[in-house]
Amino acid sequence: MASDVETQVPAQTDTRLVSGKKIPFKWVAVFIILGLFIPYFVQGYVAFQGTLIMIYAVAILGLNLLTGFNGQFSLGHSAFYAIGAYTAAVLVYHLDWPVYATIPVGGLVCFVAGFLFGLPALRLEGLYLALATFALGVAVPQILKSSHLEELTGGVQGLDVFRPAVPEFLVNNLAMNMDRWWYFIAFFVMLFMFWLAWNLINSRSGRAMMAIRDNPIAAKSMGINTSLYKSLTFGLSAFYTGIAGAMAAIVIEFVAPDSFTFQLSILLFIGLVIGGTGSIWGSIFGGFFILFVPNFAEEISTGLSYAVFGVILILVIYVMPSGFAGLVNILSVRFKKLFGAKTS
Amino acid sequence: MNKRTETAISADTAVADPLLSVRDVNVHFGGIVALDGVSFDIPAGQVVGLIGPNGAGKTTLFNCISRLYSVNKGDILFEGKSILKTPVYKMSGIGIGRTFQNLALFANLTVLDNVMIGGHPRGKTDYVSNMLRLPWTRKEENRLRAEAMEMLKFMRLQDTALQRIGDLPFGIQKRLEIARALLGRPKLLLMDEPAGGLNHNELSELMMTIRRIRDEFGTTVLLVEHHMGLVMEVSEKVVALSFGRKLAEGPPRAIQEHPDVIEAYLGTGKK
Repeated sequence: MASDVETQVPAQTDTRLVSGKKIPFKWVAVFIILGLFIPYFVQGYVAFQGTLIMIYAVAILGLNLLTGFNGQFSLGHSAFYAIGAYTAAVLVYHLDWPVYATIPVGGLVCFVAGFLFGLPALRLEGLYLALATFALGVAVPQILKSSHLEELTGGVQGLDVFRPAVPEFLVNNLAMNMDRWWYFIAFFVMLFMFWLAWNLINSRSGRAMMAIRDNPIAAKSMGINTSLYKSLTFGLSAFYTGIAGAMAAIVIEFVAPDSFTFQLSILLFIGLVIGGTGSIWGSIFGGFFILFVPNFAEEISTGLSYAVFGVILILVIYVMPSGFAGLVNILSVRFKKLFGAKTS
Repeated sequence: MNKRTETAISADTAVADPLLSVRDVNVHFGGIVALDGVSFDIPAGQVVGLIGPNGAGKTTLFNCISRLYSVNKGDILFEGKSILKTPVYKMSGIGIGRTFQNLALFANLTVLDNVMIGGHPRGKTDYVSNMLRLPWTRKEENRLRAEAMEMLKFMRLQDTALQRIGDLPFGIQKRLEIARALLGRPKLLLMDEPAGGLNHNELSELMMTIRRIRDEFGTTVLLVEHHMGLVMEVSEKVVALSFGRKLAEGPPRAIQEHPDVIEAYLGTGKK
């Protein structure tokens, strides 16, 4: 019937209809080249700050997978950050593990913790889940301090983490030093984690996650095992945050319970919203924001730093209600309209 | 295709096992009886209409068959097996698809992604293989995407494939619901008031679509519908409910002339 219409194959068949969404290689290439050169043009401390931004970005991306892509809220991701950090610290301090190996292990431990926490938490929707995760977030620092675990965790004092020297041949050939070396490790871990997230979002599992976010009942009716996907996503989110926590412990060379208070959960949440919920690369901006803006607020007024931070936060939300990634999207659409460029 | 329909009707349907059979189903909410001993069969390959005035229990029955409500007494058999213990998420996999009366699309995703989610139960990839983009995941993904595009063409929606749901008119969203359900390759498609809110043209297109679903995919359809014209036009069999009980079942014309059905709808003053 409609075959006479179909024979006119549209000339501009979009590749997305055939092979799906492609990674924007041009932008990624620019980003990688910039990322590789930055540590050679800045001072060691700035490279260290860059490392922290990337670590935060991984943690925020973890939260984003949970909240932005799966619609579950967490105010307790500081707990997973702490578990990742302490896993790395304990393995290095007590068992003399090589630091590099502790990063994936920190992630895996958090995956298990997150999955197990996600199982009962599944029964809680929206606000109640936020409260349950809040409880987790405030409980973990106390547990880490408790006298029963002092042998293992070092109690209030925390644990030192010793980094091995930078490999000799890199020092000789690439002018490597400790700050640059860990900057590059964080950079490649971040790229890898972003690649994993991109693959996931553009796949069967990622679609199922987003379907649950948009309409849980319809998702179930379309054959998605919503309970399983929600707890797996919770575990995966914790995995990301745990990797970040483990890297943070190594880079800072120290863990202590007070680095992982509930305030960290809120900071990660702020980074998520400012970077853009449901955006992978927006997480980098989120990391940038939560590292620099609190310090910046402190510089403006030590006594009123939180008030200044609050004002900045409100201004930023006012200017970009859908986060940094949302703002860039809007601007690029306007730009294309203005110059009449082909959008395909 | 008309030949196939005729053979389907003229063949002795009583011999074949029904695809779905509703047996003496009772449902009550607190003290209110919503369904009271309802039984009927849905023969494979037919379009069956479920009608009744407001409050007759159509939607309750629909929700029982799609497993959103549980049944207090009685049984529902699909291909001879009870589905009362099947979790909702397994329904699509065993071959029962559904559309929603009030659109239940995934609002932030594209049309193409929405349809692809309909094919979820047939996929085998998991988080690990998806994240690492292992070779077979791409294969599965490309095959699913091609099937989804075919389905969009079938529903004449291919031009909207990359649009987001929010921007689309109501009639298109209704068609998209059907496309999404069909990608699960259902043996039985449950349609909850598909005509609701459609204009005249869209309605006649819907009639054609339902026939094409039956003829080209061999899908059995259960239609829960207010719109008499549509039900009488496309159904081979109609079941009429009123106040939770079955009034009558049979071919459309017989139902239209059935005195109890006329009374239920028009409330003739029988004393």
